[in-house]
Amino acid sequence: MHADVDVIVVGGGHAGTEAALAAARTGARTLLLTQNIETLGQMSCNPAIGGIGKSHLVREVDALGGAMALAADQAGIHFRILNSRKGPAVRATRAQADRQLYKAAIRHMLENQAGLSIFQQAVEDLIIEGDEIRGVVTHMGLEIRAKSVVLTVGTFLGGIVHVGMDSHPGGRMGDAPSNALADRLREMQFAVDRLKTGTPPRIDGSTIDYEDLESQPGDEPRPVMSYLSGPEDHPEQVSCHITHTNERTHEIIRAGLDRSPLYAGVIEGVGPRYCPSIEDKVVRFADKSSHQIFIEPEGLQTNEIYPNGISTSLPYDVQVELVRSIKGFENAHITRPGYAIEYDFFEPRELCPSLETKHVKGLFFAGQINGTTGYEEAAAQGLIAGLNAARRVQGKDFWAPKRNEAYIGVLIDDLITLGTREPYRMFTSRAEYRLTLRQDNADRRLTEMGRELGLVDDRRWRRYSEKCEQIESLEGELSQRFVLPGDNDIEVMLGQALSRENTLIDLLKRPEVNITDLVGVVSIAFTDTEVLEQVEIDCKYEGYIARQTEEIARIKAHQEMPLPQSLDYTEVKGLSNEVVQKLDQVRPATLGQASRISGVTPAAISLLMIFLKKTKKGSLQKTA
Amino acid sequence: MSSDGPSYSQDTIAAVATAPGRGGVGIVRVSGPGISTIARSVIGHLPKPRYASLVRFLGDDGTALDQGLALYFKGPDSFTGEDVLELQGHGGPVVLDMLLKRIVGLGARIAEPGEFSKRAFLNDKLDLTQAEAIADLISSGTAQAARSAMRSLEGRFSDLIAELLATVIEVRVFVEAAIDFPDEEVDYLGDDRVEKQLSDIRRRLKDVISEANLGALLSEGASVVLLGKPNAGKSSLMNRLTGRETSIVTHIPGTTRDIVGDIFQLDGIPLRLIDTAGIRRTGDAIETEGVRRAVAASEQADLVIAVVDASLDKPQQKLDLEELEAASGAGMVIVSNKIDLAGAGAYEGIAVSAKTGEGMEALKTNLKKHLGVDGSTESGFTARTRHVNALEQALAAVDKGHGELTRNGAGELLAEELRFCQRHLEEITGEFSADDLLGEIFSTFCIGK
Ligand SMILES: Nc1nc2c(ncn2[C@@H]2O[C@H](COP(=O)(O)OP(=O)(O)OP(=O)(O)O)[C@@H](O)[C@H]2O)c(=O)[nH]1
Ligand SMILES: [Mg+2]
Repeated sequence: MHADVDVIVVGGGHAGTEAALAAARTGARTLLLTQNIETLGQMSCNPAIGGIGKSHLVREVDALGGAMALAADQAGIHFRILNSRKGPAVRATRAQADRQLYKAAIRHMLENQAGLSIFQQAVEDLIIEGDEIRGVVTHMGLEIRAKSVVLTVGTFLGGIVHVGMDSHPGGRMGDAPSNALADRLREMQFAVDRLKTGTPPRIDGSTIDYEDLESQPGDEPRPVMSYLSGPEDHPEQVSCHITHTNERTHEIIRAGLDRSPLYAGVIEGVGPRYCPSIEDKVVRFADKSSHQIFIEPEGLQTNEIYPNGISTSLPYDVQVELVRSIKGFENAHITRPGYAIEYDFFEPRELCPSLETKHVKGLFFAGQINGTTGYEEAAAQGLIAGLNAARRVQGKDFWAPKRNEAYIGVLIDDLITLGTREPYRMFTSRAEYRLTLRQDNADRRLTEMGRELGLVDDRRWRRYSEKCEQIESLEGELSQRFVLPGDNDIEVMLGQALSRENTLIDLLKRPEVNITDLVGVVSIAFTDTEVLEQVEIDCKYEGYIARQTEEIARIKAHQEMPLPQSLDYTEVKGLSNEVVQKLDQVRPATLGQASRISGVTPAAISLLMIFLKKTKKGSLQKTA
Repeated sequence: MSSDGPSYSQDTIAAVATAPGRGGVGIVRVSGPGISTIARSVIGHLPKPRYASLVRFLGDDGTALDQGLALYFKGPDSFTGEDVLELQGHGGPVVLDMLLKRIVGLGARIAEPGEFSKRAFLNDKLDLTQAEAIADLISSGTAQAARSAMRSLEGRFSDLIAELLATVIEVRVFVEAAIDFPDEEVDYLGDDRVEKQLSDIRRRLKDVISEANLGALLSEGASVVLLGKPNAGKSSLMNRLTGRETSIVTHIPGTTRDIVGDIFQLDGIPLRLIDTAGIRRTGDAIETEGVRRAVAASEQADLVIAVVDASLDKPQQKLDLEELEAASGAGMVIVSNKIDLAGAGAYEGIAVSAKTGEGMEALKTNLKKHLGVDGSTESGFTARTRHVNALEQALAAVDKGHGELTRNGAGELLAEELRFCQRHLEEITGEFSADDLLGEIFSTFCIGK
């Protein structure tokens, strides 16, 4: 027997890590169970963190006290800002990470988290009494009791690996899939579906000829991931390289298609449209004579590289030939063949916004098990699931950010409302409040709430409070100081004469004025670039943000109106059968969620509102 | 949360609350938190609650659009439980339209069918027993609004909107792809294709707006078809309603052999009234074609007036009526004609005499009710205002986005404006596509690593 705990987190990947840390930080006695302690914090796919939409998630996890951004800063060997020439709302940060450093950073944080213990045990069964979770059973037959359990064992549940026409059961290449638990879950009433994804062959970098390849150095000044980090936290930096496929590569691929499991119809899972295999690209976009490949270093201590852009499940001999047809790869040695993997996920529409399953109370799902892909998506869910698992034990209401508060909110709401048919990845175009949900202001959106929830420690809180004070004081100063026509320095900066008296903030609203020049000219001594950036963005986006804020306020009341889980939609007068069916399938938690189910019309929402009001009035009259 | 529940509406809604009739009194009703701003702008002050005052309704340039009564009810002591302003003017549909537009320009939006009642109910202004009726109003009103929207949108208009929508989505695909996949060598925002496409959308939007404003694309209102057996008095009724000798009347059954249309004002609302050949089997090829056309016209109609000869015996009337029911392609108002004749008796429906004019008021009232122009549901007129308004907002969004891109290089703001543009166009078509832009992006570009 193992001593009882409050929260058990099963799985030590990116979701499990954040779940365990979040639960422990709020004071729950937490136990992290992993098949293998050595794989804690492992990056099973490409060694990059962040990217468009994804760095937004990473920063949000960071603003809520999570680990991912800090680890990325300690392990990042190449940092870039994407979309740097576009507006701040769509800018994103991407880091190449050294796998070993990343794992070490995560493991360090896990091992040093108060209230969290780690135990190497594979979980084979769940203890469920009635419709409530009570704990887990490990492969040793050990029963461990807990009030909440978070399952993050999604990495390739029931996985089948395909290389050419050969296939075998497997998790990430090399690891055993967690099949005993998967079988157990499938026996319960959870709906299961299948997805597919792929990886490229890995290559020994010392066999690559970089001479004629385009080199892509990291950005300077060097960006950071965490609100708490600085560039001094980064290890040594390296460059990435870019190469391309060519007509010959494509010929080789076409010639090998008859032995592709994808094209021979062996694979049934749905793959991500945004991450097609190279054979897919060549077939679907036959007119393109070349595709880009990013050569990503896997770490400082290894020569292995990850050729991002040629994920494939073609047979090994074709892989060798196609790789060697690529410029710079003429003599390349493949260290690990590429493969496609099919795996199970559970219908995420069977989850509540807290990520608790609707079928089993106290059981939470996070990460790939819910149909998502990506470390960042996993981490975001892990944090929310871990937090709510702990809050459940503590008898507190669940919390999850809303769509207008965070990409995490968009992610969860999309999953539980729309479900997914391909591995779900975040994009900024999924967020209707994109101008408000920026990676630069994740702390201003979430850190206060994080503090209230017990996720944010003193150090982060102090840092955040100072930043806010500075923003306020700078904004105050800029809106109170006037410049008059004839002010020489200002007019030189503007390149034209002032026609009337202006506040500095008015000047900043002009598209051609940037804040660094402005504070320089009027000699305001502000050096914190983060503060300057916030003030500038607030000012330039003012009109748009006001409009979004208004829209959010306008629909808030009905967005948040709860819908009882027991509601019988056939009783709601006027709803079409189709709408009833859709509502019944998703069983939305709020009216807002209902309105986002495709096919649920504004009129249907009105009818629901009338119905709820009627029911409420009816019960009030009865009790009166 | 108080026991009243939250106040559900943070926005202000407006609609023409009575039948928009030429010459009659028209009321524009406004409800919501924006009342005081709107009142101050349109009538210069916020009137004293519950007192009618005679005022001028001012346009945005300060000139008077109309004059009439203003009535202000302060929430919660109002019909909806919110602040309510009612403006009663004397102007016809055009003036009411301008007034409504003016109010929309001040931040209100045009109410959905049943929305005033919905708010009243949610704010405890109506009792429980009325819930059903409101639910009915919302579902039938929505169907009705869709119908009037269809009616106000002639084929060409809806085609134009559909094409515009497709173009906007196409541009969005490129813009969003440039934002979400910057590594992919598709720098659409940087090349001049986007400029061209935006100018094209603007030009087309402007054209549609001016045409819609001229009414060129909007049909003249509902169509009402007269259907009956030969000699029932359809042509006589047509002439009685229009006040003109449009259709030939003789005592010979089978006089009318083709479709005869005329415009008819129902309290100022234009309707298309269509006379048809009497339904019967005949060896005459011309008349047979006429009957076919009659049935076809009924299928296009908003409403059918089934004319039965009340001078026939009742079993015959019943048979005739059953035949009409089978032939008609739309909902029917039943009229028993020739009630002036000795021994005549209506088997069913509104008893009238095309000859003496008896029963015509009852018929008109009934028509108004069935066409949804008695103020209880949305008319084609409101639908048109709503559409023009949506088009104007769509254009404003494109203009703004275009400016953001060219002046500031702000692709993300262009993206935001295009999203709004699409939403406004979808208000017209009534089809809100789930945002499947990503799907379009993936099928357009070879994206991903
Ligand atoms: N007394 C009386 N006679 C009527 C009335 N309405 C029509 N009639 C007479 O009925 C005859 C047929 O009238 P029409 O209006 O031509 O009838 P219809 O239904 O158009 O006939 P077809 O065009 O032949 O199908 C004419 O002689 C009319 O004068 C009525 O209300 N009272
Ligand atoms: Mg006739």
